Amino acid sequence: MNRKRAIILNTAIIFGFFAIFLRLFSLMIVDHKALSERAKLQQIKTEDIQAMRGNIYDRRGREFAVNLELESLYCDSTEVDIDKEKVNKLSAVLGMEPKAVRAKFEPEKRFTWIDRKLSPQKAGAVKALLGISANAETEAAEGFGFVPEAKRFYPKGTLAAHVIGAVGLDNQALEGVELKYNRYLKTSGRKIHLERDASGRTLSLGVNMEAKGDDVVLTLDEGLQYIVERELDRAMAQWRAVAGTVIMMDPFTGEILALANRPTYDLNELNRAGRNEVRDRAITDVYEPGSTFKIVIGTAALEEKIFTTESTFDVSRGSIEVGGKVVHDAHRHGVLTFQEVIQKSSNVGSIMVGMRLGKEKIYEYAKRYGFGDDTGIDLPGEVSGWIRKPERWSATSIGAVPIGQEVAVTPLQVLRAYSAIANGGYLVSPHVVSGVRTHDGQTVASFGRTERKQVISAKTAAIFKKILETVVEEGGTATEASVAGNKVAGKTGTAQLIDRRTKRYSKDRYVSSFVGFVPADSPRIAMIVVVYEPKGQIYGGVVAGPVFRNIADQALSYLDVPRDDVQDKNLLLVSK
Amino acid sequence: MFRIDRRTLQNFDWVTFTTVLAISVIGIMTVFSATRQPGVEAQSPLFIKQAVWLVIGLLGLVVFVSFDYIWLSRISLPAYITGVVLLAVVLVMGKTGMGAQRWISLGPIAFQPSEFFKLIFIVMLSQYLSFLRSPVNIGMLLKAFFIIVFLPFVMLVKQPDLGTAIVVLIIFFSMMLAKGLGRKAVAMIVLIGLVSLPFLGNIMWTGLKDYQKNRLIAFIDPQADPSGIGYHINQSKVAVGSGEFFGKGFLHGTQGPFRFLPERHTDFIFAVFAEEWGFFGSVCLLSLYLMLILRGLDTFRKAKDDFGRMLAAGITFMFCTYFFVNVGMTLGIMPVVGIPLPFMSYGGTALLSNFISAGVLINIRTRRFSLFY
Repeated sequence: MNRKRAIILNTAIIFGFFAIFLRLFSLMIVDHKALSERAKLQQIKTEDIQAMRGNIYDRRGREFAVNLELESLYCDSTEVDIDKEKVNKLSAVLGMEPKAVRAKFEPEKRFTWIDRKLSPQKAGAVKALLGISANAETEAAEGFGFVPEAKRFYPKGTLAAHVIGAVGLDNQALEGVELKYNRYLKTSGRKIHLERDASGRTLSLGVNMEAKGDDVVLTLDEGLQYIVERELDRAMAQWRAVAGTVIMMDPFTGEILALANRPTYDLNELNRAGRNEVRDRAITDVYEPGSTFKIVIGTAALEEKIFTTESTFDVSRGSIEVGGKVVHDAHRHGVLTFQEVIQKSSNVGSIMVGMRLGKEKIYEYAKRYGFGDDTGIDLPGEVSGWIRKPERWSATSIGAVPIGQEVAVTPLQVLRAYSAIANGGYLVSPHVVSGVRTHDGQTVASFGRTERKQVISAKTAAIFKKILETVVEEGGTATEASVAGNKVAGKTGTAQLIDRRTKRYSKDRYVSSFVGFVPADSPRIAMIVVVYEPKGQIYGGVVAGPVFRNIADQALSYLDVPRDDVQDKNLLLVSK
Repeated sequence: MFRIDRRTLQNFDWVTFTTVLAISVIGIMTVFSATRQPGVEAQSPLFIKQAVWLVIGLLGLVVFVSFDYIWLSRISLPAYITGVVLLAVVLVMGKTGMGAQRWISLGPIAFQPSEFFKLIFIVMLSQYLSFLRSPVNIGMLLKAFFIIVFLPFVMLVKQPDLGTAIVVLIIFFSMMLAKGLGRKAVAMIVLIGLVSLPFLGNIMWTGLKDYQKNRLIAFIDPQADPSGIGYHINQSKVAVGSGEFFGKGFLHGTQGPFRFLPERHTDFIFAVFAEEWGFFGSVCLLSLYLMLILRGLDTFRKAKDDFGRMLAAGITFMFCTYFFVNVGMTLGIMPVVGIPLPFMSYGGTALLSNFISAGVLINIRTRRFSLFY
């Protein structure tokens, strides 16, 4: 009897176990995929969390763009348990409407941002209020949590704003190097996986903050940039100008050492900046260059051996008629040599040179210098400007193009052309980034763009350099651009703006510029200063020339460039 | 009274002993894994507590092997009365834990009388049944029910410790079956059951607490409210299903430590184990339970007297009931009833009581030849 019962019981038990094994098999093997998907779904939350972008450094390793680790508040609306009073307090801390905060609880979602990238003070206040902090055990409000996020921070504020660019709230690249080099700066992981526990708390603290984008090293020098911006500000104030641009470049390598525009904006407050402030005039705005464009006919005439520096031009009439239109000189001159035509920036003399060259040659040389084409600088939004093809020139064009009218150029194009004079006749590739490296210092990419496109002979460049030196000497148009101790070579430009309404040259709105390099014999910096619509004075030599001098003066001592006259004056260099 | 001699050691039931020890060690590991807090240095001390209880349990086991189990029949009545009184005490002044009164505090120690009551109940019933003739008829069954089962059953329901109450009821009927029921008795039970089911169901339903009703709803339709009442079952299934064949590996489970799984170190500990050790590990673990139960039934068959047989049957059925209800609930084939998995789930009183029960089982088997002394 016992035996029979035992067998029945054994069978029943084994049958029961078999049922359990079957169920186990169906759950663990058959349904495994679906169930583990559900596990992942609830444990891992894919959110676009902003991890660390790479930093941006100047050429000496000084930080221009870094990250702050801030915290963002989210809620799990399925778990939110908070009373009305606390909601009101929370909204007050966050500076939001209570209604707006409560709206975040509405959707049946396990993850909703309430407010992002809170300041440490705000985050602290919220944590205390919700009882989230580690030590405050007092009735933590259910369903809230913090996720660390990286916020872009620009420690220098407005400095080099147009080069650095900026990112939006979601760390999306919007301008400048931030945009152009986004593929390096951004983290490789586009989505960050958050492991969460049942109450939605983030378990992987730090949210892959270790995953960091690559750092970008600029060719910019903070010291030079600061000098440039300070002097540009002074000029803007002095001349009550509408806008201004200064670019400083190494004429041999094309490395941009400083680039500034006015008006400008604070990178940390991009949302308050208007389009006018964000515009990088140095490369996105075209203007009629005026006399600085005489480099084209000047060097072309020398290169083509049509004139020598001693060729003479009778400009005593002070005007010349071209195609029924009369062009005047700003000042009366008598008979000028070729050198003096450039030095004194005689329009009449320049047009005479241009007429001898002919429109084809003028066009050819303008294109050689890269006018009408992108410089290829590594910043977004560059425009190419334009110059008409010879066949489309009007009868008066030959009286306009040689003196820098009927062409549209960017300040950077002009600077690059004059750098060719400084470096012996080749065009450089301007660039603002020298390299990319990982955050622990390994080189990812380096950009030593030394594409040298010879556009004029070294001899012509040397001759024209001598002419440009006379521009800042006694009798030139830019005596105020001369730097004590170092020879400057440069050229002024004064161009009338076209009145939008009348489609004619404005009587009182000018663009004053000076472009040059220093020290003339072994140039260290090439620089262009463009001041839009100065008040009181209009001439490039008067308005932009002093800006060039002031910047060059400080920049040369910043760069420890010895004075040209060390030998002559028997000065002794004493190191500190 | 205490007789540990060469024969006792020779006949010692090492199979049962090794099985429960192995399950308990696995249990402690799983408690550690289930309660670990990811990213936190300080780990939960629960597994250490459980290890201490294991040592106490082993001592209890040794004590309950050391004397002849016949002695238990002599103390069965006073023990039973004490047990019922303790249940009454819990009902009156018990410490509330998890929405139910199950605990009594004795100074710093809090313990659950209901845990020990099951064993006392089995001893009492064995003693009672050993005087009855087999097969048992319906009158004897009802008499036994009202004398021994009814009072404690009502008190357990009142606590409410529905799980233990049902277990007590199941043990009662299965021990009756083990004793041997007459055909008429079986037919009567089935008839009474069928007739009273609608009434009983109705009374039970209205008498259930909300959380108990929800568990039943959730069992019938887990997707009715997956984040609400169906949550336990769903999360448990997700954990088990994540395991696949070889599991995620020890300490690599996520459902438990991430607190998706409720009662992860107590009632749902098997889900944590399954996630980490997979189908293969689960089958191994369940085989240990199968071995324990089959060994218990074998002991039931081989015991030297009727008291021993009933005792072995009762204890084995108790393990069996706990096992099936718990694993069934974890796998979503039974409603959620808050009862632990013997030897695995965290809980000191339960572990001690289980080890004592195992000790009694070993005792019965070890002394199965004493008749011939």
